[in-house]
Formats: sequence, C-alpha cells, structure tokens
Amino acid sequence: MTETATPTKPKKPGVYVCKGCGIGEAVDADALANVAKSEFRIQTTATQDACCSDEGVAAIKADVDAGTVDGVVVAACSHRVMADRFRFNGTPVVRANLREHVAWSQPPGEEDTEMLAADQVRMAITQVQLTLPPLPSQVQEYSRTLLVLGGGITGMTAAREAVKAGHPVILVEKTDQLGGWANKWAGRMPYRPPYRDVQDSGIAKLVEAVKADKDIDVKLDTRVVKTAGQPGAFTVTLSHGGQESVVNVGAVVVATGFRPYDATKLGHLGYGASPDIVTGVELEAMLKAGGELKRKSDGKPVKHIAFVQCAGSRDPDHLPYCSSVCCGVSIKQALQITKADAKASAYIVYEELRTPGTAEEFYRQAQEAGVIFMKGKATKVDAGAMQVSYTDELLGTEVPLAGLDMIVLATGMVPNSTDPDVPVVEPEKSEAQLKGDINPFSAIPVAGYKPGGAEGPTPPAMPHLDRIPEGGPILNLQYRQGPHIPVLADGFSDSHYICFPYETRRTGIYTAGPVRRPMDMAESAEDAAGAVMKAIQAIQGSKMGVSLHPRVGDLSFPKVGHEKCTKCRRCTVECPFGAIDEDETGRPIINPARCRRCGTCMGACPVQTITFDNYNPQMVNAMIEANEIPDEFSEKPRILVLACENDAYPALDMAGINREKWSPYVRTIPVRCLGSVTLQWVSTALQKGYDGIMLMGCKSGDDYQCHFVKGSAIAKERMSKVGETLKSLALEKERVTMAEVSIADSHRVPKVLNEFAELIGGLDPNPMKGF
Amino acid sequence: MTAPLPNPGKKYDLDFARWVYDNVNGGDKMALCMQCGVCSGSCPIGTNMDHGPRKLFMMIRAGMQEAVMTSNTPANCTSCYRCVVRCPRSVPVTYILQDLLAKQAELGYRAKDSNENIAFAKSFWWSARAFGRTDERLVTAKYYWSFGPAEFWKRSMENLKIALGFIKKGRMHIGMPHSVKDKKGLKAILDKAREIESRG
Amino acid sequence: MPVDGKEAGPASQTILVVGGGIAGISAALEAAETGHDVVLLEKGPSLGGRVSKLNRYFPKLCHPTCGLEINYQRIRKNPRLKVLTMCEPTNVAGSRGAFTVTVKRHPRFVNEKCTSCGDCAAATETMVPNPFNYGLDKVKAAYLPNEHAMPMRYVIAPEAIAEGEGDKLKAACKYGAVEPEQQEETFDLNVGAIIWATGWQPYDPNNLDVYSYSHSPDIITNVEMERLAAHDGPTQGKIVRPSNGEPAKKVALIQCAGSRDNNHLAYCSRICCLGSLKHAAYVREQYADAEVDIYYIDIRAHDKLESFYQKVKADPQVRFVKSKPGHIRVGEDGRPFIHGERTIDREVYDEPYDLIVLATGMQPSAVAGYTPQVGLVKDDYGFVVPKELEDNEGIFSCGVAAGPLDVSLSVQSATAAALKAVQAVRQSA
Repeated sequence: MTETATPTKPKKPGVYVCKGCGIGEAVDADALANVAKSEFRIQTTATQDACCSDEGVAAIKADVDAGTVDGVVVAACSHRVMADRFRFNGTPVVRANLREHVAWSQPPGEEDTEMLAADQVRMAITQVQLTLPPLPSQVQEYSRTLLVLGGGITGMTAAREAVKAGHPVILVEKTDQLGGWANKWAGRMPYRPPYRDVQDSGIAKLVEAVKADKDIDVKLDTRVVKTAGQPGAFTVTLSHGGQESVVNVGAVVVATGFRPYDATKLGHLGYGASPDIVTGVELEAMLKAGGELKRKSDGKPVKHIAFVQCAGSRDPDHLPYCSSVCCGVSIKQALQITKADAKASAYIVYEELRTPGTAEEFYRQAQEAGVIFMKGKATKVDAGAMQVSYTDELLGTEVPLAGLDMIVLATGMVPNSTDPDVPVVEPEKSEAQLKGDINPFSAIPVAGYKPGGAEGPTPPAMPHLDRIPEGGPILNLQYRQGPHIPVLADGFSDSHYICFPYETRRTGIYTAGPVRRPMDMAESAEDAAGAVMKAIQAIQGSKMGVSLHPRVGDLSFPKVGHEKCTKCRRCTVECPFGAIDEDETGRPIINPARCRRCGTCMGACPVQTITFDNYNPQMVNAMIEANEIPDEFSEKPRILVLACENDAYPALDMAGINREKWSPYVRTIPVRCLGSVTLQWVSTALQKGYDGIMLMGCKSGDDYQCHFVKGSAIAKERMSKVGETLKSLALEKERVTMAEVSIADSHRVPKVLNEFAELIGGLDPNPMKGF
Repeated sequence: MTAPLPNPGKKYDLDFARWVYDNVNGGDKMALCMQCGVCSGSCPIGTNMDHGPRKLFMMIRAGMQEAVMTSNTPANCTSCYRCVVRCPRSVPVTYILQDLLAKQAELGYRAKDSNENIAFAKSFWWSARAFGRTDERLVTAKYYWSFGPAEFWKRSMENLKIALGFIKKGRMHIGMPHSVKDKKGLKAILDKAREIESRG
Repeated sequence: MPVDGKEAGPASQTILVVGGGIAGISAALEAAETGHDVVLLEKGPSLGGRVSKLNRYFPKLCHPTCGLEINYQRIRKNPRLKVLTMCEPTNVAGSRGAFTVTVKRHPRFVNEKCTSCGDCAAATETMVPNPFNYGLDKVKAAYLPNEHAMPMRYVIAPEAIAEGEGDKLKAACKYGAVEPEQQEETFDLNVGAIIWATGWQPYDPNNLDVYSYSHSPDIITNVEMERLAAHDGPTQGKIVRPSNGEPAKKVALIQCAGSRDNNHLAYCSRICCLGSLKHAAYVREQYADAEVDIYYIDIRAHDKLESFYQKVKADPQVRFVKSKPGHIRVGEDGRPFIHGERTIDREVYDEPYDLIVLATGMQPSAVAGYTPQVGLVKDDYGFVVPKELEDNEGIFSCGVAAGPLDVSLSVQSATAAALKAVQAVRQSA
C-alpha cells in the first residue's frame, strides 16, 4: 500500500435516484431528488432510468472522476445486489433501498409510500455524510511463520502443507519424538480407491519428510508456556528442559489430537480384571509388534477374539458422542487378525455399525474375510470365563460369547483441548471457556408442546456435559477472557457452524484433527490442510489490516475514545472473540487483528465511545433522527426496525422480491449484528417520537445462528433493561421488542412487522413526537 | 464329505460361524450379511418359516448350531430367488439354504417330520422320477396321502371344486399320466446326479 | 505436454473451480481470499448447488441460506473471484501451472443487464417444471432461479424460446437484458490449478423398482422432502400428501434406498440417516399427532451428530424400525403400504402410510459428466480423487465429487483443496 491522504467524510455527496424496476411507477423520483436538494443541500442529484445500466454507472463515475462528488447515494435496489456495479475507487457508496423495501413491498403512488421512500433517501444521505473511509489497522512486525502445536499426523501434515505454500513453521511437540499415536499403529484404514485393504500408516515417511524440511523448525520435548498478541504477531513462550524462549509467529494451528478414553473407568466391561481384556490401542501395539498374536496371560495364540464397540462412547455416563473411528479401527484389527490366521474367529459386538462413505467397502472386506458381526449391546464382560454377554437385538436373546482368548474394548477419543499434565490457571475464566455455551442434547421443537410447559420430548440426561475437561490450557492465551480456546459442550474445540468448520472464536488460531472432532488419519490430514489455509489467511489479513471471516476484507475496526471511557469493562467481557484486553488501569486495549468487526463492543459501551470509522453510534443516531416523524394527529405511526444484515435484512429483501407487502410505517436500518445495537439508539428513537422499535435478528439459544456468537443473546439481555427507560418516559413496555427470525423467513417477516405495526397502531402515539 | 460340526452339543459355539462360512455352499458369501432383513421381508412364505433366512444367519453367527441344524427354514425355501435379487450384499440366500438343508440331512439332523414341504418334495420327486414329468393329480394325491387316509379325504374334497374347474377349462387332463419318451435315459441322468452328489 | 489431444496453453496463476455448490463456493472463496485470482464455473443459472435446495441442515436445523448469504457477501466483496454461470468444462489439457480448459456455455437468454425486475416473467405464458423444486411444481419459463439466487438474475428456459416467445420477452425487457438469439458457445480458459467440485445428484429412485416410486405421488425422495418442507417449496413448507394435499401425519422414512446396496450404490452415502432424522423433526414440528417410522439398517450418526440421533429418538412418536423393507405396494385406498420384516422381533409388517420418503443416496455427478483425464482418477463409484497424493499435479477434487460427505466435511475438504491449489500456483510461479 502506498501512502494515501487522510480520508475525510464526504462533504459533497451525489444522490442518484433510480426509476427502474417499478420504482418510477411507485414513487416520484424527482421529488426524492428534491428532498436531497432542499433538505440536505445536495448539489449533485440525478434521476436515472436504471442506475445499474452502463449509462447510469458511467454518469456516476464521471461525477466521481471529475471530483464533483466525493460520496455516492444510489437510491435504487438493495445493497445486496449490483454491488460490483457501484464501486468507485474507494469512494463511500450508500444504497437507499427503494426497490425491495419500497417499490416491491408498498402500494404505488400512495402518500405513505412516498414518505417511506423519502426517509430511505434521508437515511442514506445521512449515512454517507458520516462515513469515514476506513484505513487499515497495521500490525507491527508481523510474522509469516506458523506455529503448529502437536507432532502427530495432523501437526506434521499441517507443517508440510504450510511450507509448501511458502510459510515457515515452528512445530512444537511435547514428547521426545514426532509421530504421535500413529507411531503405534499397525497400519491404517484404507482411504484411497479401491478402499479395501489395510494400508501402511506412512508415518515413518512423513516423520522423515518433516525432519528433512529446512523450513520446519521441530522443537521436541517442548511445551507452550503462554501465548500473547494477535494474528500476525503472536508471541509464544516455549519451555524446553526448563529453559524458556520466545518465538514470534503469525498464526497457530492446534493439532494436539486426542487421548483414548480412560479404560480404568470401564470396570463394568472387565477392564483390569484380566490381562487378556485390552483396549483397542493396546491391541494395536501388539499387532504393530508383529508375529503371532498371543495372549498376555499365558502366551497362547489368540483364536477367538471379541471386540466390544462403544466402550465408553455413546454412553451417557462416559462419552456422549460417537468417537467415529472405533468401528473402522476394530474392523481393521479383526481383518488383520483374520488374514494372519484364517482359523481365527473374530467377533465384533456393535450397536450401530458406522462405516460411513466408502468405508462400507472396508466393512464388506472384513466380512468376506470371515469377521463375524453381532448386533447388540454388551451387557457384561466376565474375565473369569472370558465371556462377553450381549443382548442380541436380532435374536431377541442374551447371547454369551464364552471361552474367548482375548476381549478388546474399543475405547473412544477424548480431545486434547486441555492438557491434563498442565495445572489449571484462572479457574473461573477457564470454566466459562470449557463449559460449552450450548447443549447439543436440547429437545427438538415438536408440535403440541406448549411454550412455558414441557418443551418437548426429553432427551436422555448427559452427565458428561456437566463435566469440565480436566487440566490446564494448551496455549495459555494471555487474553482478558481466559487462557483457553473455547470448546463446545462435548469438549471438542470445534466450530459451531456447519458451513464454516474453521470459524473459530479465537482469530488466527485454528484447531485441526481429533482435537476438533473425532476423525481418522486421512481426515486429520485433510483437516490439517484446511486449518493451514485459514492460518495463512490470518497472517495475510493481519498484514493488510483487514478483517477475517465472516466480514472478510473489512478495513474498519473499533476505536476507543479513551477520554470518555469509564473502564466499565463491558466491552472486554462481551467481545465474542476475546479481542479486547485491559491495561493495568482497566482501560480497554483493542487487538484489531483478533477483531471480527461485529460491533458487539460498540453495543456494549454505555457511553458510546467505541466507534468504527464507517459504523458508529453517532451515525445510526443521526440516521434515526434524519427521518421525518409526522405529528401525533396524522395517525401515521413510525416504527424503527434495526435489522441484522446477515439474516433479517436479507429476509426482508426476499419478501420484497416475492412482492409481499408490509406496513409503510416501518423504517429499517441494517446493523452488523444485534450485538452492536446500543441502547442509546432505542432512547434516541423514543425521544424522536418513533412509536415502536423492533430489533430483528437471528435465533439465540442452543442452536443459535449468530456468526458473532451471541449477538442475539446479548441484545435480548440488553433489551430486558429497556423497561426502565420506557417507564421513565411513561411509555408502554411493548413499544420495544425483539423478533427472532431466520434468513428463510421471507414469508414470515412481513407478518411479524405487520403484527407489530398493528399493536403499535393500537397504542396512543408516542407523546415525545415533536419535542 | 461334509466336515463334522466342530463342537457338537454346545448351545453357543464360537467356531460354528466359521464352520458354516467354510463348509456350506455360499457360506462365505453369507458372511457378508448385514442383517437388513430384506430377504425375510421379501420371502413369500417367510411366515411359514420358524426363523427366516435373516434370523437363521444371525443364529449361525451366534453359534446356535443345534437350533440352526434343526430349523425348518432351509426346507421351506421355494427357491423363488426374490431374496437373492433384492439382497444388497449379493448373498446367494437360496443356495445357502439349499446346502444347509443338505447338511442338516447329512449330519443326521432331520428337519421336523411334520414338515409339509418335505412331504410335498417327496411326492414331487416320485412323480419326476417315475414319469419325467409332474402330474398334478398324482403329486397332489400322493402328497395328501402322506398325512393319512382321513387327511387325504378331507383335503381332496376341499380341492374338488378347483380340480373340476381345471378339467372343465381343459387345464387338467384325465387319463393316464403323460411320460417322457426316454425313461431309461432319465434314470441314467438321475443316477449319475446321485453319484456326483454322494462324492460330496 | 499434450493431453486430451490439446497443446498446453500459456502459464497462468488463476485457479479454476468447477462447480458452484457449497464445496466449490468455499474452495473458490478460500483461494480468492488468500489473494489469488479465481474463476468459478457453475453449470446452472445460480450458485448454491444442492444445499440451496435444502430446507435446513442437521443437526442445528438452521437454514443453509444463512451460510450461503455470508458466502455471497464474501463473493460480492471479492473482485478477484469471477463467477461464470451456465458454464461447464468439456476438456482439460495441459499440466500444473498451464492448463487449458475448454468451457461450454449454455444459453441463459438473459445477459448481465438483467435487474431481476420480473417483467419477462410477467410476459411469458409458457410454464416449465420448476427445477428448484425438482419438478414438483411449475414455474414461468422466464424465472428467477430462487428468491436467494446468486447472481440475482433471471433465466429463460429453452422451452419459452421454442414456443416462439423470444421476441415478446425481448420486447418486455426495458433493460435490453433478454437475448433470445443466444447460442451455446465454447471458449478456453488458461488456468494454473483446478479444483473439481462437481458434487452429486440424487440416486434415481426409478431404479429401485420394488419401492414403487413411480406408482404413487405419495412416495417421494429425501431431496423432494426438503422442498416439501421449505417455505419456498411447492407447498410453502406444509408437509402434505402430494396426491391430495392432506396433512401427512403418518410418515415413513426408508434408509439406504440405493445406498449400501451392491445392486445400486455400494457405498454408504453418509448423510441420509441424519437427513431422515431431520425429516422426522420436520414432520413432528408441524403435527402434534404425527407418527414417523424410520426404517434403517444402522443409524449412522457419526461423531458428534450422535446427539441429534438421541434428540430425535427421545420423541416417542418417532419409531426406529430396524428393517430394510422388501417392497412398497399401493393399496386400494391409494395409500402406499410398506412390506417387510421387522428384524428385532421378526414380525412381518404391511403398513400403510400417508407419505413415504425414500432416503436415496448421493451419486457423484461425475458418473454422467465429463471428468478430466489428467491428474484425476475416478473410482469404481464415480468419485473423483487425485491420481497421486504425494505429487501436486495442480488438479484436485473436493466435496461430494470426491466422496460422500456432509456439508461440514465438504467445506473442510474444499478448504484443503484450496490450499493445494494455492500451493500449485505458487510453486509454478
């Protein structure tokens, strides 16, 4: 980037009113241009047949190029379409939505329609006049290096992939060798066509490749003591043999993997009662050692072996989830045993056999080799008789598999999202981060269950969910909000979003492999590459000073007006991404590269001193005030809708596309997230004379959809306090409300608005009108 | 020769499944069964079977040799092949049942004497051997007779109306049973088949 | 080197992504947001692919449109990413750093001047089966692919042109956007790396003749169920019997309708169990007295999705029947009956339903379409994987083109493929 002049807010914006797509028939475009001229003294105004046409765009561009205008209001369609047409070299552009929100959703030619259109123009002009083109936040001394934590298959793959993309890597492994669990594996499940045979783990080759790679700095016997900073500039303190050192890295891939579920907790399955009752991991080591498989107890060859699936997994008292790989692993082991000794009988006792995808072929291979599959829940393991009893669901009877030579417990995976060998730090903050903010077992919505009563069929209790993963933090983040990467309720450090598996809550830090989700080697390797991709973007983003997902490329970032700050710490507590720290006096310190630009801090600040250059409390206040409020005798109430631009606003656009109609009294302002809504906007609107206010955003709760984690939940919490403001103004509490909608609610949002409009219409006008 | 059962007398024998996989015709393919039940669900006479193919296969896995070897499921199979056509794992259910039936006999497990299918099969084969053809009247008569005179009379009367209808429409002929021309050749073929079968 | 009968083109740093579904969109965005030029090809009129036709996702029951909206915002903001709809590749030649891809563009009959005003739709009288709803209803032959289409632009079905409406539609458009004279055309693209994300198609239920799909409108597929439950579907989201519009309160969901079957799809499609659990939730959300039976072999709620299984299982009005049904017949009352053996108690059932949903599996689109000979290999099922994992040949696959994956795994694989492509063009630079 070359030097640019300090940007300023547009002083002479141009206003271009479109007459296309029915706008010209619905409203008087010239009258709208006159609003700009007469009320805002806009010098350059024009009406166009179609702003988006080549001629329309050229006309605007000519004005921008000539310097006649330094900001553009396109009063036409929604900002969600034709974005590429209205780009003028960084000149601020604001779109007044006259199409979806006026021409397509209001009756043409009526007074109310005209008034709505005029207000859309007023808000847009106000917004553009207060838009400061943002300059990027620069991270000082950024690093292109990735820190990869964990030297197993995921970590090593991540390191190799990063180097191949041109980024050096520091690979930290806490043990004295690379390879992780894979070192102990006697082969792996097939992952390449024809998906039939056990494949070599390939781990030795990978270890060699990593060791030989000059761009990978392998640090064995090393732990992370603490991690500070932000993407592009993390400073990580490492400890090796009691010596501490500090490295600078741009992003972190956490590949700490898993540990097998503690089999000593599986006494009911006979673990510990006989040396011939082993875990899958123990059997794997025996197979890896090679030679004839023999009993530990007496060295006799193993001719009859039974695998007990879901040993700990899918069990409310142990692990609530399916560990995903155990079916495949047991099949692999049984296949290896059967192939080595054609006379051996290998039994796999399962409840649901899970070999998704092409792994089904591997299941068939095992069957063809003679592995015997029994469907039922193992009820008892008798170490004396070496007997697995299980209730065979298909025979409807208890079947004893007696006289076995070996019993294998297919134990599940526990994510290493914490390190049991490391002491707990900041217990309270840790607990909050490790608790998981949603219950994955909450009931599904079912018709006939009344709100307030039972919510629906009650899923089984999952005591595991109440447990906090044991141990201390793996990165020990020096963040105000605590040392951990937040985990989900099941203990995995995964994204909450289906579409965005790397949407982490700690920007620049990406988990991969079984610490994120139970997964096998092939998937872990792929996941490693995915995480590296995001890590590289984090480094680039920090270099350019732009936001990462989901507001990719956003240059704006929050700024704190320290003279007004009361050190109340609300912003530092509420930031969903832990982007704000505090100095020793309690003043907030923004780490722009950690920030995702949602504005939750802005909404939290009670003195409105947190601002973005192009989005701030003052701007929206001004937009609210820009609208004309008819007097109380007009019988034209005004309703302010603050709509989340990720779902509520698009849903309204789609309602317009479907030509659904809604109340003309609604004035909609898109917001980045309901979390960014400050209560001041509500009081401004009430004082200005709006009769009702609605916050419209996404669903909160156990299946929340907010991509800024808890915007709706926070807004709900804040709104609960509006009651007192209303009371002080002697206003009814139902004037301010919140509606949870989804983006697929295009058919519902008009109803939501109309019902609210009807309710507001039934109340007396806001007495503050005209004050 | 058929290999003897590995551990006769055990109710649940861990070696039985592998024995079936290795010794029953199509048994290795049976190992591919995933217990979906489409065979038993498609079987036109499945309700007449004590277990049906799907459950029988599961019993084999559970090592329930006694119960398997005395099951009437193999004998009841009519070889319509619906199960084979529909089986998602290409298990040749029909062949397996046929060979299991043979194994039941060879190893001295008799399917239940009251089994009507066996009686029918015997009648059928009697006619086939004698004439090289199946004569509906004689097969039916011999089949009914195997249940005793009273049952013979009862069942014959029940079917009289149908038989008369057939005759009226020319669907059933009256007179001497038709026979193949080369009865000698037929006998030679059948003897040869028996010889091959006894080789095991 | 000459491959597929063509000489290699000039070197290029551009990454080509084939397929504009969730995997292709994700791969294209990840590469573009890492600073690379990307061309995204989509053969249909709008991005979004199969997920845009889903009502909701498992396990959160959230709407795919939400994630698509964020991705579309990312696309709108990124000048490095160029989207070409109605386009599909017909040939790939060359090698890493210098591929030449021949692209066929199908006529849309609408150009980029389209404002999506809808005047052409008002002008046409031709109706065509609605591809967005799998033909469950009809749509004007000049139509917006869906309310969330990207790009937000109309498309004219060839039927309208064949009906001779071309000139009328052209006259109806104020913006000069209708071009009835458009022809199929081909052009070449020079790119440095390629990501194959051609996705999947539902397995043809007509192949499952014992399930009588063509004999009753009340026997539908899982993808059709998604449209039935969607607010922008043929019934505005009401789950009803297609035969008579009555509420579907007794619903059967049949798993492995094609999948895990040597006669059809030998692999497990991974998503169908969870999809059906979701369908059970759809039905139960609408009708307090609804009963749902799920016929299954194994419920494959892998990894953390187990919780979704447990949640649905907790509802006593959702029954799990371990049985692969033998056949479906249409009863005298017009209702379809499912016949089979309940494996748990060996009861043979013959059960009537209001609605039967066949959980048909995912078949890779590559089964029928073009697949490059260079760098990729098709497995026995039609999934496309790179020839060698060790060498970066500059051409990769992701999403369901590469294997039966759910959305999350598709995006994971797309992100990984994007990195591989970035490595390829960086290494060839």
